[in-house]
Amino acid sequence: MTETFSTLPEELQLATSAHVKYIQSLDTRKDQYEYWLTEHLRLNGLYWGLTALHLLGHPEALPRAETIDFVLSCQHESGGFGAAPGHDAHMLSTVSAVQILALIDAFDELETRGRGKAQVGTYISNLQNRQTGTFAGDEWGEEDTRFLYGAFNALSLLGLLHLVEVDKAVDHIVACANFDGGYGVMPGAESHAGQIFTCVAALTIAGRKDLVDVERLGRWLSERQVAGGGLNGRPEKKEDVCYSWWVLSSLEMIGKTHWIDRDQLIAFILGCQDNERGGISDRPGDTVDVWHTVFGLAGLSLLEYPGLQPVDEVYCLPKSTIERVLRR
Amino acid sequence: MPPKGKAAPKPKGPDTTKPSSSSLTAAAQPASSTATNNTTPPATINERSQRRVDECQPYEAARQKAGLSGLSQAEQFGWVSARFARSDAAARSRLGPKSQRELWRHVNDASLPVRVLKKKLVSNPWGVDRNGRDVGSYSPAQFDDRAAKRITLTVLAAASQAFRDRRERTKRIALEDQQNPDVVTDSEVQEEHERRREMATLRKELYGDKMPGKLAQDPEWDDVVPIPHEEPEGSLAAISYPEDYAEAISYLRAVMQNKEYSPRCLRLTEYIIGMNSSHYTVWLFRASIVIALKLPFVDELAWLNKVALEHLKNYQIWHHRHLLVENYYPSIAGSPEAVASFAAQEQAFLSDILEQDTKNYHVWSYRSYLVGKLGLWDSAAELAAIEAMIKDDVRNNSAWSHRFYLVFSNPAHSTAGTAATEPDPAAPTPIVDREVQYAQDKIHLAPQNQSPWNYLRGVLVKGGRKLGSVEPFVADFVRHLGVDDKEDVISTHALDLLAEIYAEKGDKEKADLALRRLGEKWDRIRIGYWEWRRKCLESPAAAAGGTEAGVAAAVAA
Repeated sequence: MTETFSTLPEELQLATSAHVKYIQSLDTRKDQYEYWLTEHLRLNGLYWGLTALHLLGHPEALPRAETIDFVLSCQHESGGFGAAPGHDAHMLSTVSAVQILALIDAFDELETRGRGKAQVGTYISNLQNRQTGTFAGDEWGEEDTRFLYGAFNALSLLGLLHLVEVDKAVDHIVACANFDGGYGVMPGAESHAGQIFTCVAALTIAGRKDLVDVERLGRWLSERQVAGGGLNGRPEKKEDVCYSWWVLSSLEMIGKTHWIDRDQLIAFILGCQDNERGGISDRPGDTVDVWHTVFGLAGLSLLEYPGLQPVDEVYCLPKSTIERVLRR
Repeated sequence: MPPKGKAAPKPKGPDTTKPSSSSLTAAAQPASSTATNNTTPPATINERSQRRVDECQPYEAARQKAGLSGLSQAEQFGWVSARFARSDAAARSRLGPKSQRELWRHVNDASLPVRVLKKKLVSNPWGVDRNGRDVGSYSPAQFDDRAAKRITLTVLAAASQAFRDRRERTKRIALEDQQNPDVVTDSEVQEEHERRREMATLRKELYGDKMPGKLAQDPEWDDVVPIPHEEPEGSLAAISYPEDYAEAISYLRAVMQNKEYSPRCLRLTEYIIGMNSSHYTVWLFRASIVIALKLPFVDELAWLNKVALEHLKNYQIWHHRHLLVENYYPSIAGSPEAVASFAAQEQAFLSDILEQDTKNYHVWSYRSYLVGKLGLWDSAAELAAIEAMIKDDVRNNSAWSHRFYLVFSNPAHSTAGTAATEPDPAAPTPIVDREVQYAQDKIHLAPQNQSPWNYLRGVLVKGGRKLGSVEPFVADFVRHLGVDDKEDVISTHALDLLAEIYAEKGDKEKADLALRRLGEKWDRIRIGYWEWRRKCLESPAAAAGGTEAGVAAAVAA
């Protein structure tokens, strides 16, 4: 199956070098309106871009030393990281920071030049509501299963999962399960592929995948594939490349990736590329952005598209990174 | 200096040269005064200056043209006399007293200028305007206009300083004597604000000065020192802002650091949200202000509603609403009427906004939160609202999902802790019946719509019913299964459910047929799933360990 892709027309091949150039150009786009509007995503954006580069097999394309400098400059005394220097600490940017440091193997620098792993662990664990098991994004208390997953992700990479009440958190995830097999952002909320990913991944990290109704969920996930081959996030919604990650990684975690038509999905993702300027968009013909780029590539990696590094379905980092970090 | 006793003659202006009695001087009218355009006004300031220079040195222009020997004797005499009159006493003392007296008589009679305007050797002696143009090239009218502007600016600056001084004084006095009623009024502040705007405009016009930021110009913000963004040198992900936004954020940093919760800060948050509604921190700060100042909750909600309708994809808005409700609810919790009234208000707004964006995930999540918070489980209005949405769009999965929650998570008839996909003995039979019927009715409207099929199945499971209890209904959507030319599947979801029903009954053959046809024809894209279901029929254990390779082999077979 894989060899047929090289015989496809150019637009259905992976434009690797264009994507690398696109990601490298991102920090130079300071004059673009969208750039300053998304300041609160700066560190997250760096994680997306860097992961994409690693999956493309070009980890050197962004300078390692500057990356570490930037990441550490976002850290607060509390141990948490803000989205950009001067921004308040938040769970999501903290998780991105940990993921980036794991990716470029810089936990040592975190110890020597940053506030150290333990402090980061403390920051994260302090965000858990010990009564409900849920996690807030910051001291303001907005709760969302994304934060729960983020906490598990970062803590397990740091080897500090024991700092939090795992069981209580697991109970909360179970409370977010719905009749259709999916999971929502909170109990009662509609099943949504993004939330499903966070819940299933969190359960996986906690070693409690047994709590998932695999058949129901798998069925619901396989229904995300629409006629054009792309995946949507909920019934009767439009397909979007980022669901190539949320849906596919969830299927991978429950061992049902083959419930999706791979060839059609690959063709869809490749059709969302901008072959000349690089980057991937949500749908063919739309404007590209780094978010859809990393998730499109991660999806292709899960589908074993040739030339990409294998991605870990739980952490959305290269498998090699996870092996290195978790084996230590 | 002329010899004592004689007053030093004042140099006369160019056009006030009186006709003189002296024949020498009469003939010696300065050449330049009859030259070209003394009657026409100068076109530019530079020209005017040049004329004045020339008028102070009456014979100079001619001498430069023709040389001293080219002048008439009277002109030569005039030129020399003017030189002597201008030089110092030591030079004149070479003339002897009688000659000096004659000199001065001549100077007086001929009204020779004693002082001279030096032609400025500096280029652009009047300066340049904001376009880099020499102000000396302005016409006199333009120049006067410019001068008038400068005077206006000076006057305004003085008034602005007076305002600041007054404000300082009243502040000081207020500290010492709190009874003193003298305060700077709003209209004074308003006046000052306009004054500053005018000054900024003038400065820009005159000197090309950059307009200061809106907040820097606002007298209300004078006491705040904004904190500019600091970007480490050559940083990897450097940020650059449009100016208004950058200024507003720098003020935000300052007031957030001081934890100032005030009306002006509330206005600042609104201003920033207007420029970037997804700025995370500004929403949180606004919430603190509303709570700290105990602002009327209804006002804040009314404002929020407006913003929500303008920024449909923004989720901070909904978290803000959540914070407000959490904060407000304790004050109405004791009164069922107040809760009902608030619920009705919220339901009205939710209907409005869902009309704009029917499947907005944040709105629906907030709605489910509200149901739990305000106890709307038995609210007929809530159920009716959801039914209306499904009626409008039977494919709205969010509405279906909310309905399930509303009906089956009602604490009055559900068992806490029951898993989502497991039966709940507390689910009342009439309700289960009703929901089954409802789902079936909606399926008829759009048989290939996934939501009511998921719903139907979910209801049956929740109610502990056999899937087979709806077999006649389901079978209606599949005709002549397995019969070559006649097979007609109106809904693949029906065929899927039918396969389950057959399996439930123990009819493996029919179940397998249904699943095979789904993979072969009716839903080929999901063949991986259908094949796995077929394996399940053989032995559930084998299916549990189903691998991709195994399925691929089955597909290829």
